[in-house]
Amino acid sequence: MAAGSPLLQMERVNKHFGDLHVLQDVDLEVDPGEVVVVVGPSGSGKSTLCRTINRLEPIDDGVIRLEGRPLPDEGRALARLRSDVGMVFQQFNLFAHKSVLDNVTLGPIKVRGQSRSEAERRARELLARVGVENQAHKLPAQLSGGQQQRVAIARALAMDPKLLLFDEPTSALDPEMINEVLDVMRDLAAAGMTMIVISHEMGFARSAANRVVFMDGGRILEAAPPEEFFASPRTERAKDFLSKIISH
Amino acid sequence: MRIGRWMRLAGTVLVLTLAAAACGGDDEGGDGGQVNEGASFAEGTTMARLQQEGAVTIGTKFDQPLFGLKNLEGKPEGFDVEIGKLIAGELGIAEDKITWVESVSANREPFIQQDKVDFVVATYTINDKRKEVVDFAGPYYEAGQDIMVAKGNPEGIGGPDDLAGKKVCSVTGSTPAENIRTNYPDADLTEFDVYSKCAEALKNGQVQAVTTDNVILLGLISQDEESFELVGEPFTKEPYGIGVKKGDTEFRNFINDTLQKAYDDGRWLAAWDATAGKVAPEKPTPPTIDRY
Amino acid sequence: MDAVLDNLDTFRQGFITTLALTVVSTVLALVLGTLLAAMRVSPVPTLRAAGATYVEVVRNTPLTLVFFFAVFVLPQLDIRLSFFVFAVIAVTVYHAAFFCEAVRSGINAVGVGQAEAARSIGLTFTQSMRLVVLPQAFRTVVPPLINVVIALTKNTSIAAAFGVVELTAVATRLANANSDAVIAIFLGSAVCYLALTLPSGWLAGRLERRVAVAR
Repeated sequence: MAAGSPLLQMERVNKHFGDLHVLQDVDLEVDPGEVVVVVGPSGSGKSTLCRTINRLEPIDDGVIRLEGRPLPDEGRALARLRSDVGMVFQQFNLFAHKSVLDNVTLGPIKVRGQSRSEAERRARELLARVGVENQAHKLPAQLSGGQQQRVAIARALAMDPKLLLFDEPTSALDPEMINEVLDVMRDLAAAGMTMIVISHEMGFARSAANRVVFMDGGRILEAAPPEEFFASPRTERAKDFLSKIISH
Repeated sequence: MRIGRWMRLAGTVLVLTLAAAACGGDDEGGDGGQVNEGASFAEGTTMARLQQEGAVTIGTKFDQPLFGLKNLEGKPEGFDVEIGKLIAGELGIAEDKITWVESVSANREPFIQQDKVDFVVATYTINDKRKEVVDFAGPYYEAGQDIMVAKGNPEGIGGPDDLAGKKVCSVTGSTPAENIRTNYPDADLTEFDVYSKCAEALKNGQVQAVTTDNVILLGLISQDEESFELVGEPFTKEPYGIGVKKGDTEFRNFINDTLQKAYDDGRWLAAWDATAGKVAPEKPTPPTIDRY
Repeated sequence: MDAVLDNLDTFRQGFITTLALTVVSTVLALVLGTLLAAMRVSPVPTLRAAGATYVEVVRNTPLTLVFFFAVFVLPQLDIRLSFFVFAVIAVTVYHAAFFCEAVRSGINAVGVGQAEAARSIGLTFTQSMRLVVLPQAFRTVVPPLINVVIALTKNTSIAAAFGVVELTAVATRLANANSDAVIAIFLGSAVCYLALTLPSGWLAGRLERRVAVAR
């Protein structure tokens, strides 16, 4: 892969849910180390966009490339690709029957073939990094939402992903827990992790994003550095969207 | 005494109901057999009554191929049915005046006791237990447990002693199955719930023989003569008799005389040839009538 | 009652045969049923269709017919096995469809997010089923699974009509031989079936309580 070429390329991606055209001719490129925050009203297609990147949602038309290679179809190649693309869900989706530690070590052991001791050592490091090291032997249901989401981030990091996808990671959290998760994400951004974040947290977008992408009606309407987007949005819809967010 | 009256009334109602049910049997037309028009019987006998009425009700099986099996037109046919016609004919009653009533094994005695039938010809084995409640004319045929094998007898089975080490099939808990279990313990007994499955297993080669009454085996062979054959002689004795009401000695003697006549003039053998004789390997000899 | 006590040894043999038929068939049917359930939720359309077809065909066929096919049609394809093995095949094939549906309902009760999370860390479909979805699915379906096990136990009695000398065949045989003790003999066989099914129900209760604690 030539230096400076994008990590992720999406070209004319289209996706329908029945009659609903949820992604319309979406083009997006993300460079290594870049943090892209996708914003937009609900139903704009931003979550779907995120889920097409590791093919949790297959696309109807267009092409998605990771490191220059198109996404593979179902099968082992797709599983390999997903192991390189971490994902953090709105509902955390920790494995309910496994301890925190086992949640983090499952992928490294079963996918990467690491030894249990090696995987556990690394898992404890990651749990410490996200601040939940003393919860390692609890079940997910015994943790608060913020703690669960931080474990979910540790689980994604354990795979050493090339790209991390965050699908509204703080939307299901109580307000007092939002910052503990955003702080972890800011640290990751600062450490150079390539991230695509679907979020309503404009403060996070301002402080951590290299670029803000605004979506509405299944289309990308704007893509600009945060200071430029928030100061002078070019489209009426973006202006309208921002005025509603701020008035809240 | 009130109770006694009620009991009598109930008994009457019951008898009437049963009689009505007996009369409900369908009359069947026939092509007319040999009818003895000039027969005359002593006043007060069952024979005189039946001749007077010009009709008779006979119990037989409706599901036993070659002996009593209802055909597609709804008329029973087989060796038992021919014997029934033969007796009716001697009473001066034509075939179309016979009412056939299905008599399964369990209801043969009650039907005779309750006058639902005048007599029963239904692969009905004579034994002492049954003689306590009904009387038997005959025997008119001696059946017995026999062995059915695949066509050509590839295992060379000649009798029950050759079953040792062979898989032999019968119906769970039946008398023939218990006979094998008790007297031929070296045979490898397989049990199904019906004989048709035994036949299927024999056809597939899953068992080497099927054993039960030769009459049932002949019925199975009649349905698939390409696949099966009977071997050897029956190795038990099951004398088939004609059931009549207990104590009606005149009627029993009349039927015995009729059978003897049919033995002598060849009608008995003709009846056999026209029915079970089509698949039976050997012609039977008429059994000696037991005039007890 | 004497007829039962005099034939305890015969009863015991029938009981052991029924027990063996039940245990072997339950294990095999549970494995096959789980495989079918995984097929029915797999991302491959042909597998999904094959699983659904199996379940619909088998579930809507009377068990006696399944037995008939196993015992009399397989031999015509030159598959020659003992009647006991044919009975295991028939009972397994039939009840796998019911196990499949029970397990599938459990899979559907596990949130779709669990499977998505499993796949997003790079587990293959089979791995995410085995490591994440099924362990959770089984916890929710213990009661329906035990129902199928109890039905299976009782349904092994059909084997009596197909050459296997199990409990019902023994009872039928003894009843024919002892016409004065028919009720006692069949009560005896009913007690034997209870001895098999009651522990299943008891086990189900225990498992349910344990799962409730683990949640």
